[in-house]
Amino acid sequence: MASQSCAAALLGGLANVNTTAANFICGQLDAINQKLTDTTYAVDNTYLLFSAYLVFAMQLGFAMLCAGSVRAKNTMNIMLTNVLDAAAGGLSYYLFGYAFAFGGPSNGFIGRHSFGLSDFPSPSADYSFFLYQWAFAIAAAGITSGSIAERTQFVAYLIYSSFLTGFVYPIVSHWFWSSDGWASPTRTNRSLLFGSGVIDFAGSGVVHMVGGVAGLWGALIEGPRIGRFDRSGRSVALRGHSASLVVLGSFMLWFGWYGFNPGSFLTIAKSYGKSSVYYGQWSAIGRTAVTTTLAGCTAALTTLFSKRLLVGHWNVIDVCNGLLAGFAAITSGCSVVEPWAAIVCGFVAAWVLIGLNMLAAKVKFDDPLEATQLHGGCGAWGVLFTGLFATKKYVAEVYGSERPYGLLMGGGGKLLAAQLIEILVVSGWVTATMLPLFYGLQKMNLLRISREDETAGMDLTRHGGFAYAYHDEDDGFAKPAMYMMGRIEPSPEANPL
Amino acid sequence: MATLTCSVAELQSLLINNGGNTSIATETAKYICGRFDAISNNFLDTNHAVDNTYLLFSSYLVFAMQLGFAMLCAGSVRAKNTMNIMLTNVLDAATGGIFYYLFGFAFAFGSSSNGFIGEHFFGLTQFPSESLSFDYANFLFQWAFAIAAAGITSGSIAERTQFVSYLIYSSFLTGLVYPVVSHWFWSSDGWGSPARADPGTLLFGSGVIDFAGSGVVHLVGAVAGFWGAFIEGPRIGRFNHEGKAVAMKGHSGTLVVLGTFLLWFGWYGFNPGSFLIISKAYGKSGSFYGQWSAIGRTAVTTTLAGCSAALTTLFGRRLQTGHWIVTDVCNGLLGGFAAITAGCSVVDPWAAVICGFFAAWVLIGCNILAEKFKYDDPLEAFQLHGGCGVWGIIFTALFAKKEYLNEVFGGPIDRPYGLLMGGGGRLLAAHVVQILVIVGWVSVTMGALFFVLHKLKLLRISSEEEMEGLDLTSHGGMAYEYHHGELELLQKRSIEGTRIDP
Repeated sequence: MASQSCAAALLGGLANVNTTAANFICGQLDAINQKLTDTTYAVDNTYLLFSAYLVFAMQLGFAMLCAGSVRAKNTMNIMLTNVLDAAAGGLSYYLFGYAFAFGGPSNGFIGRHSFGLSDFPSPSADYSFFLYQWAFAIAAAGITSGSIAERTQFVAYLIYSSFLTGFVYPIVSHWFWSSDGWASPTRTNRSLLFGSGVIDFAGSGVVHMVGGVAGLWGALIEGPRIGRFDRSGRSVALRGHSASLVVLGSFMLWFGWYGFNPGSFLTIAKSYGKSSVYYGQWSAIGRTAVTTTLAGCTAALTTLFSKRLLVGHWNVIDVCNGLLAGFAAITSGCSVVEPWAAIVCGFVAAWVLIGLNMLAAKVKFDDPLEATQLHGGCGAWGVLFTGLFATKKYVAEVYGSERPYGLLMGGGGKLLAAQLIEILVVSGWVTATMLPLFYGLQKMNLLRISREDETAGMDLTRHGGFAYAYHDEDDGFAKPAMYMMGRIEPSPEANPL
Repeated sequence: MATLTCSVAELQSLLINNGGNTSIATETAKYICGRFDAISNNFLDTNHAVDNTYLLFSSYLVFAMQLGFAMLCAGSVRAKNTMNIMLTNVLDAATGGIFYYLFGFAFAFGSSSNGFIGEHFFGLTQFPSESLSFDYANFLFQWAFAIAAAGITSGSIAERTQFVSYLIYSSFLTGLVYPVVSHWFWSSDGWGSPARADPGTLLFGSGVIDFAGSGVVHLVGAVAGFWGAFIEGPRIGRFNHEGKAVAMKGHSGTLVVLGTFLLWFGWYGFNPGSFLIISKAYGKSGSFYGQWSAIGRTAVTTTLAGCSAALTTLFGRRLQTGHWIVTDVCNGLLGGFAAITAGCSVVDPWAAVICGFFAAWVLIGCNILAEKFKYDDPLEAFQLHGGCGVWGIIFTALFAKKEYLNEVFGGPIDRPYGLLMGGGGRLLAAHVVQILVIVGWVSVTMGALFFVLHKLKLLRISSEEEMEGLDLTSHGGMAYEYHHGELELLQKRSIEGTRIDP
């Protein structure tokens, strides 16, 4: 597009042109305008859809992480819970979850339009947005399943999962992500909380804390797995059955996080003012992918060396958990902090996780996936971190100028105050909803499985058999003939576990 | 930003018959040109959005190769060392992230600089750079490549290397050795680069065409691995006292295949993604043929080379051993990909089939040689990435097509192209130089490092540790625990007796 030659041509003598020419030129410009609008929608939807697929891949990752972290006899059970998170979540979020979360215009507490996607699509929300939000919703439910793994009745699982994905989580996301939410930083029609709103870009609080706090109550009310703490109260490691699955799952989650964090911009084809056309929302998105990466890397390395100091060896399972803690923490501020700050975030997240794990052991809290400590604890750290390190420039890009920003960057205390409110309110709301639910289920004997089921493993008693069958029944041909005798034990109570 | 709307009334009032009034004509011009400027800027925005989307998703795909390689490694080693090798893979990514951010990217792409090493962007200062068209997506993409190179080396030294050594070599490779090589061949300042600003200074008037890194990534990782494995020596039991090779099979064929498929999946970011931008027309605008076509073609050549190598390996190994062996087919597949990586963007699809065919034989041949020389590489990493990488570099110099070279690398000069396509020998000469220089540089740096570590007794683990397995001795326990509780209880309570058969 050479505007120089355009000027030259026009100055050459269009002065005598009439209405026809005017209509023609304007018609062409209009057509170009429309085509550009089409293109922008196409690009933005491509970006959001592929980000949604990546977030969905995190279900895969979490399924593998869970499977590898539990004992072999419960593998079928936990993988089924992961599949059903996605499936049941699909239905409940479609029917009413999305509506509670984003159905505007509405009040600050809960949404009330778009039930069953009735008014879709609209200029503000297309199907890609629904899919993306659904992928987030099922992520939150997945987190909780980790805390109550290996000892929860399947019926209880279905009940809590639908309730969390269809009601508890959507309401929280309404508060902080909808343009009506009382604490949202994108609030249009009313005043912002503390003149700021809460900055939880991709959900350290909305997703990770919600999942973590729900898991906390489930695990507390159920109590630890049999054998997790011996008679003197000491921790006994109940090791997962496959480190390969844990690593596979962690890497898959890392991969998917590139949809989770950068994807939360929702659109990519947006310029930031006119001053430098090279720099636009696409740059901020790239920067968000970089901050995400650096936080995870730092947390992983910090965990590696810390655990080496603490226990004397290099443990890949711990490193994987540390990695994920770094990601959970950076999720809140990934778009509004500098890359070097992300390194700080990851470093602290690793120590928060180690500390919380020690605390959990002390108070005899058993969480098979460390989900409460990781997502709840490091999620809360992430929310705080944003209140400390958000930069003025990036907050202005993402949310608008003249906003409070990070305390340690000279932005005052308003943003930090809002972040604190988020931590309190999320913890309070999830407690108020999930605690009675888990308590009620327990009282009706619907929550924890029986001792016999737990010892034998749920796969055998409830899920049709073991996950693994490495030796087939007709193997007997190859083996030498053997017989096994049972020794008579003095005490039937003796349980080596 | 100026609006794109056009008001007829406004424009008409400007264009009335005025008998040649200059100031009105100026107003007209400004109005119309202002609108065109707005359109132009909007197009630029769109281009940036599309290109960043493309590059970011390609980066995520290349990152997925870490996952694939972790699974491939895990499945290829014995169960007692699984935790160890997977940890090395996770840490490649993690340490690579920090070191590449701090100085690796700067050494590689910190222009403007000399031909040997970069000098800007340490810690990503003064980033993004409009003049160089470097945005964060570029950094992420290059980081994903850097950690791939370090991963390759871990395969050669698997099952017998002290973890501390691992951390040291990995940081050194990702932070210095690899970035310098990528500077030579991929930075517009690099002495061997085909993208040098002054065409008169191109190596042999050509520069090296290593599009996605058969040399820069695969050969670098392989040579480093070679020195580690060579200095360490073979695993205990790999060659018996008569010198015959003893197969040390990996513990999970499933993981090997899963890992291989994930690497294949990720290669669609690795090769086509190396174009960096997708919205670029080749010649006149408005044609259906543009850089997006070349990108698609690159995905096709990648695919065909892998397929052809896999099939050739299948039948080749069937002839050699009488069996159809999936783990060998997987390695052959990866050998095909490693080979096509250099020339994927500049050869025809039929040439890619040839590339894969020969890559398979190169791998089989290198494996035979390795056994002869009692060289033990648990992942065949040196044979695969080194042997097939070298073949890929040569292949490109033979089959690069003139038309594609000009598309991809452009430039005012007529570039030398593939020898067998009639392009003369200068490209081949440049590629031979690339091979020699990479082997030399990596040998000097990594060979020396491994030797020093070896002398300090930091490299290889003790034989007791090796027999027990690294997981038990250094990594907190075994990777797998398939039976728990009740079965152990059963075993404790029972005696197994064996019937004596006549």
